[in-house]
Amino acid sequence: MKSKSWGTTEGILVCCGIVAAGGLLQWLAGPVRWELMSRPVNGIVLAAMLACILLMHLLCGRVRVFRWMSSLQAGIPAIATCALLTILMGVTRQVPSEHIPTEPIGITAMLSFWPFVLAYVWLMLLVGMVCMTRLSHPAWRNVPFLLNHLGIFLALVAGTLGNADMQRLYMTVEEGKAERLAVDAKHRRHEMPITVELHDFSMVEKPTMSFLSDVTVQTRSGISVRDTIRVNKPLSVGGWKIYQYSYNEEKGNLSEYSVFELVYDPWLPLVYCGIFMMLAGAVCLFIKNKW
Amino acid sequence: MISWSELWLFALPAWLCWLAAALISLSGGWRRTVYLLMLGGLMIFGTYIALMWLSLERPPLRTMGETRLWYSFFLPLVGLMIYSRWHYRWILLFSTLLSGVFICINLMKPEIHSKLMMPALQSPWFAPHVIVYMFAYALMGASVLMSVWMLCRRRDEMAAIDNLTRVGLSFITVGMLFGALWAKEAWGTYWSWDPKETWAAATWLCYLVYVHLRRSRPAEVQPALLWQVFCFLCLQMCWWGINYLPSAQGVSVHTYGG
Repeated sequence: MKSKSWGTTEGILVCCGIVAAGGLLQWLAGPVRWELMSRPVNGIVLAAMLACILLMHLLCGRVRVFRWMSSLQAGIPAIATCALLTILMGVTRQVPSEHIPTEPIGITAMLSFWPFVLAYVWLMLLVGMVCMTRLSHPAWRNVPFLLNHLGIFLALVAGTLGNADMQRLYMTVEEGKAERLAVDAKHRRHEMPITVELHDFSMVEKPTMSFLSDVTVQTRSGISVRDTIRVNKPLSVGGWKIYQYSYNEEKGNLSEYSVFELVYDPWLPLVYCGIFMMLAGAVCLFIKNKW
Repeated sequence: MISWSELWLFALPAWLCWLAAALISLSGGWRRTVYLLMLGGLMIFGTYIALMWLSLERPPLRTMGETRLWYSFFLPLVGLMIYSRWHYRWILLFSTLLSGVFICINLMKPEIHSKLMMPALQSPWFAPHVIVYMFAYALMGASVLMSVWMLCRRRDEMAAIDNLTRVGLSFITVGMLFGALWAKEAWGTYWSWDPKETWAAATWLCYLVYVHLRRSRPAEVQPALLWQVFCFLCLQMCWWGINYLPSAQGVSVHTYGG
């Protein structure tokens, strides 16, 4: 007896199964704990995911399900599931990040909701599979397709996995003083590898409103940079990006301190690579006459 | 020195050129005249933007009124690009009318121009992010109007709807990614799942379903058209609906002074 190959119905069923399995996990283990994803776990997870995709691709000839995974019949239900869960996120009031959900199901902390996370993981597996299929027959006409699909794969996977390695700290510096301590979102104090010295904070209203901090930043290796930090114009020193965050709002121009946000994001180059691939892909999509 | 009070001197002739071109293209007239009139109008309007740039001694991209100048300029421009590519006769009228709306707002509400924008909006990313999104909204609007028309009258305009959606999707993608790059510069994260961003992602995914569905089952027209309407509803939620959505109140960074 010849079994019928998989199609859209199976695609929908698999998505339902993934949401159900996610629900069960949520019930048994609680919300996803993203903080466990930090170095080196995220690197291992990425390697495992890529190995998994490669293995399934190599077995495509023998296992029909793996071949089906790079089909539209599998892909469309997966995108639709992610879309519906994202809409669900849009209509429910979300708790701030790292807070526990306010209801028993967990949808108010959607980013840690297992069905949501698993649906996106499934979608990314399918995108990875379809990219492998196209890569195994290299041709110029595949370039726009690969820019779009590899781009979203890279941006989403690297962005999500790298999130746990990202550090965001807040540093309050008084005028004329140098600071090397910063606090995180949970008010824990951290000693930083860089020192920020604030020479002057000022607020200008003309031609447009802006806040400026005149600073000197020093790294442990002895690099010293003097520059002005303002909103939309962060300063990059030694792998850290320093953003103008706040000031004494009651005193305005006379504020005697300035608050900076310090961001360290080692996975950023991968995410940017994905974003620029998608931008190029979008241009191709615009130019292309027919699909 | 040029100011907002001279806008009508440039905007009116430019708009009349575009309108003439749109009407000629609608009646199927001479294509060369259409191109000349469109380019003439763009040059007149472009001259005004250039003079404003010189007079302000900075690019006119900071206030809401200044960004509306760019919509008014880009709408006919991209309309012309689509016209030259697919020869849709109605696209020029559509983009001219929409451009006219933005010109009228600028003519009637001059007090907005003097208002300062908050620091986070003072970024070179602001204008491209918003202009690209506005044009995407315009394309998706045209596409959903044609879908409703097809649902009612059973005409075959599927190729046009698919093309508009594809071009619109490319613009939505670019607008979204520009937003991400800007957010990284302004706040240190490219994506923070703020309600507007969540709805932008949901809308983008819905349109992705549409384009993949059209490839997978090109013969099934009715479900695709209904899905097109659903996508547009998501887009409306993303554009202005979240201002009224209880779950989004007080948590969005996208609500600068209404």
